[in-house]
Amino acid sequence: MQENQKGPATLGSVENQNTDLNEWKNLASKELRGENLDQLNRQSPEGVTIKPLYTKQDTAGISDFMDTLPGLAPFTRGPRATMFTHRPWTIRQYSGFSTAEESNAFYRKNLAAGQKGLSIAFDLATHRGYDSDHPRVKADVGKAGVAIDSVEDMKILFDSIPLHEMSVSMTMNGAVLPIMAFYIVAAEEQGVAQNKLSGTIQNDILKEYMVRNTYIYPPEPSMRIVGDIIEYSTKNMPKFNSISISGYHMQEAGADSALELAYTIADGLEYVKTALARGLDIDDFAPRLSFFFAVGMNFYMEIAKLRAARFLWNEVMQAFHPKNPQSSMLRTHCQTSGYSLTEKDPYNNVVRTTIEAMAAVFGGTQSLHTNSLDEAISLPSESAARIARNTQLIIQEETDICHTVDPFGGSYFMESLTADLIARARVIMKEVHDLGGMVHAINKGIPKLRIEESAAKKQARVDSGKDVIIGVNKYKNNSSSDSVEVRDVDNSSVRNSQILRLNTVKKNRDNAAVTKALAALKLAATSGHGNLLELSVIAARHRATLGEISESLAESFGRHKAKVQSISAVYASAYGGQNMIEAIRLRATQFAKKSGRRPRILVCKLGQDGHDRGAKVIATGLADLGFDVDIGPMFQTPEEAAKEAVENDVHVVGVSSQAAGHKTLVPDLIAALKKLGGDQIKIVIGGIIPSQDYEFLKKAGCAAIFGPGTPIPECAETILNFLESNV
Amino acid sequence: MDLDINKLVTQILQGSRIGLSRSITLLESTRADHRKLSEDLLSTLLPKTGRAIRVAISGPPGVGKSSFIEALGMRLVGQGKKIAVLAIDPSSPITGGSILGDKARMEELSKSELSFIRPTPSSGVLGGVARHTRETLLLCEAAGFDVVLIETVGIGQSEIMAASMTDIFVQLHQPFSGDELQGIKKGVMELADLIIVTKADGDALTAAEIAKNELEQAVMLTRTAEHGIPSVLLTSAHKNTGIAAVWTSILSFVEQQKASGSHSQKRRAQSRQWLNQEISTELLALLNSQARFEELLKITQQRVETSGEHCSRAARNLILSLLAPCP
Repeated sequence: MQENQKGPATLGSVENQNTDLNEWKNLASKELRGENLDQLNRQSPEGVTIKPLYTKQDTAGISDFMDTLPGLAPFTRGPRATMFTHRPWTIRQYSGFSTAEESNAFYRKNLAAGQKGLSIAFDLATHRGYDSDHPRVKADVGKAGVAIDSVEDMKILFDSIPLHEMSVSMTMNGAVLPIMAFYIVAAEEQGVAQNKLSGTIQNDILKEYMVRNTYIYPPEPSMRIVGDIIEYSTKNMPKFNSISISGYHMQEAGADSALELAYTIADGLEYVKTALARGLDIDDFAPRLSFFFAVGMNFYMEIAKLRAARFLWNEVMQAFHPKNPQSSMLRTHCQTSGYSLTEKDPYNNVVRTTIEAMAAVFGGTQSLHTNSLDEAISLPSESAARIARNTQLIIQEETDICHTVDPFGGSYFMESLTADLIARARVIMKEVHDLGGMVHAINKGIPKLRIEESAAKKQARVDSGKDVIIGVNKYKNNSSSDSVEVRDVDNSSVRNSQILRLNTVKKNRDNAAVTKALAALKLAATSGHGNLLELSVIAARHRATLGEISESLAESFGRHKAKVQSISAVYASAYGGQNMIEAIRLRATQFAKKSGRRPRILVCKLGQDGHDRGAKVIATGLADLGFDVDIGPMFQTPEEAAKEAVENDVHVVGVSSQAAGHKTLVPDLIAALKKLGGDQIKIVIGGIIPSQDYEFLKKAGCAAIFGPGTPIPECAETILNFLESNV
Repeated sequence: MDLDINKLVTQILQGSRIGLSRSITLLESTRADHRKLSEDLLSTLLPKTGRAIRVAISGPPGVGKSSFIEALGMRLVGQGKKIAVLAIDPSSPITGGSILGDKARMEELSKSELSFIRPTPSSGVLGGVARHTRETLLLCEAAGFDVVLIETVGIGQSEIMAASMTDIFVQLHQPFSGDELQGIKKGVMELADLIIVTKADGDALTAAEIAKNELEQAVMLTRTAEHGIPSVLLTSAHKNTGIAAVWTSILSFVEQQKASGSHSQKRRAQSRQWLNQEISTELLALLNSQARFEELLKITQQRVETSGEHCSRAARNLILSLLAPCP
């Protein structure tokens, strides 16, 4: 390339290119019948202008990663020299539900069918540090993941699965200490020493405060836990990834790719500093840091994101002077986007997941989870899980996709897009830096607000049809013949069997030893001395439960309370089509004139389900449409929500449910409202609700059910319809 | 809406949550017929009001009002006291809608059986925020609440409003380094009966102590002994420190006022002030309800715009011709 620039004007030189480019522009204008070429430029949500054509000129200024090689710094082209040409990525499907027995049977079947490695999903009670018998988690036990209360559950979960051979990934952040401890002790009792264990613990608490919300303690003590785990595993578990720094949940919560990229790298930086503060050597722990990104429907952008992530990580790590190149080499797991899946026309989801999986592969992921087609509706059924797994096997074994490393390398567009994304991410990372790092930024609530703003804009683009979703806001299929089989977990029977086992565990253990181990744990929490994982392992051996370990730490650390912030006016301005918006605002105002006040709705999250993107977006959207919107605290019980609804005298309670607890929570809410005399308050529900449950919920007394993909104006109109008829 | 006033009265006197909350909705209603009913309701309940300690909590956004109220409220419900919290949230002038997140910020207190927290959107309030808040306060007293906390954003008018209906005005400040005091309005400092520096923990403790000193000096300069010199206290809602001292100060302030007679004097003055406000509000409403109002207003507006007539004179003429008996 440089030769060309210095040498005589040959085809491809800058001057020649300019002449050629002008000719192309003339041709293109003709095809557009004289209209301005700029109209083919598209603005990405990240603020990058995507042009219709890229040429050599677009890559001319990129000096820091063009013409580099895979396996070598800055790793833009991939962390390994041979990538998939030698060994494909690991197919790692995230799953877990109900009891340890049922999940264990499911894992063993999948392993026999070609899956490599396990990825464990825990239920929300476990995530939040509650045993299955805790009154606050009645609806959450065994839903959206497996319930684990003690070492005994963990042993059943891995029964007949040799832990020295199996790489195990565990999505756990809040109750990370008892879960790691149970895993270590379960292996120990299987006869496997901890230094033989391989896999990954997510252990990424910072993103929990921004999105997902499955934290237990405030940020500062939580960072100590992260540090203790990194320190412990560096010393005792050399094959185990001590953290999986995750952007996935940010994208799922509505972050664009630049926000996801920047905040993930910034989080990683914070963890590195935490580990260094322990006196660890950078090269002792940095090679065991891993990452986790989402891959959504913006195909090129997602490929660029993975390339940019490797570049940026290598760049920021140089500040710590690693000697081992692996220390600054970003390795990542990817998952296709659950957010992009739809309830309507569910078989379209297979196609979406395939496209996303290909982006992850072209981006050079190390392992991949492909979502099941029914993921927008419920927990994956067996047949849907098989198709999802086969999607990866087909890419690996039927196509030629794996035959070349970084096939997009050198593409004018891809290299330029990678550079653009790096530039956008640097701006966001600078903001974090100026706020004093990620912990401070989070305490100020800035990243969460930025992500919520991005989510509201995204929702408005979808609702107004600017972002097309086939079968949902374009080419709608109105026949409902394509319903899918849905896995339903009988939550109360799971809970009962968990409680039985808990009681047995508590009866058969040495209670004095448990009390002593828990006291030691609490003392270490308070004094700041001692490794909390080491002490949790001791407590776990004595059969202390997950709830007991978590609670003894909470007594010292306290439980974190989320600062609920909200944004306004973002939704309406991104929606664009003002006629629709104005029409609803007018109806809200007319309703106020007629009845004496505006339509008032309480938007709440019930149970331990922390996915609050939907609730936040609905709240800001409805406020922009002229509603008065109350927002409840996170993790309300039905009784607490009923009290709030009655006190605020709302017309409607809107329940946002993403974690399958609705069949218990909604009837409880209705009963609680009745008890307080609030029978006249209507209930609507939205989120991940399988159509099989509609009948049940309507019978229970729901006035309306909004499935995934319902535009907010449509929700508003439905609510106004039944409110107006009641005036 | 349930419009049986007698039933609402009974419910409120029995301390029913839904009775109170629906009565507040009735007060908030913009419908004229609701207004009349709410007056009936208040008139019946008035003899049962007056016994709560009324506290205004004021401070700029971000100072930690909600956290402070949560900490103070939890301490009081812990002593078995019934606490009502009234908060006004801004409505959007463009959409008319609002987001009311106060309860989410007072997570623990909102769960308590002894608490009642009511956020109200500012736009939906007939006769202004002041009337609404004052009347809601009275309903809460009738319903047996021991303490009513009124949360207000620390900006000029709303502080004066809150001060005009409470027994004690508590002003919250963030820790600061010393040279930021100029920014604190003198007029607002004059309202304060008690000054709190929040977030006095961890790294911010030194800044909080500096702020305390600065504020103490400032009140010495701006206040005289006869009007009372407010004390300045450090608190941390996060560490739950200093909260007990705040409550002791509130109690002793109110006791002192009661002993000296200035408590009842203050409440009488507040009633007079309320009456004055109501006269203007009612007068305006009366004018608005005249059949010829719209028409005359338009004509007067044109005159002011085109012929440069003095607004004050034009307004007086408009009112006089509206109120003059028809010829």
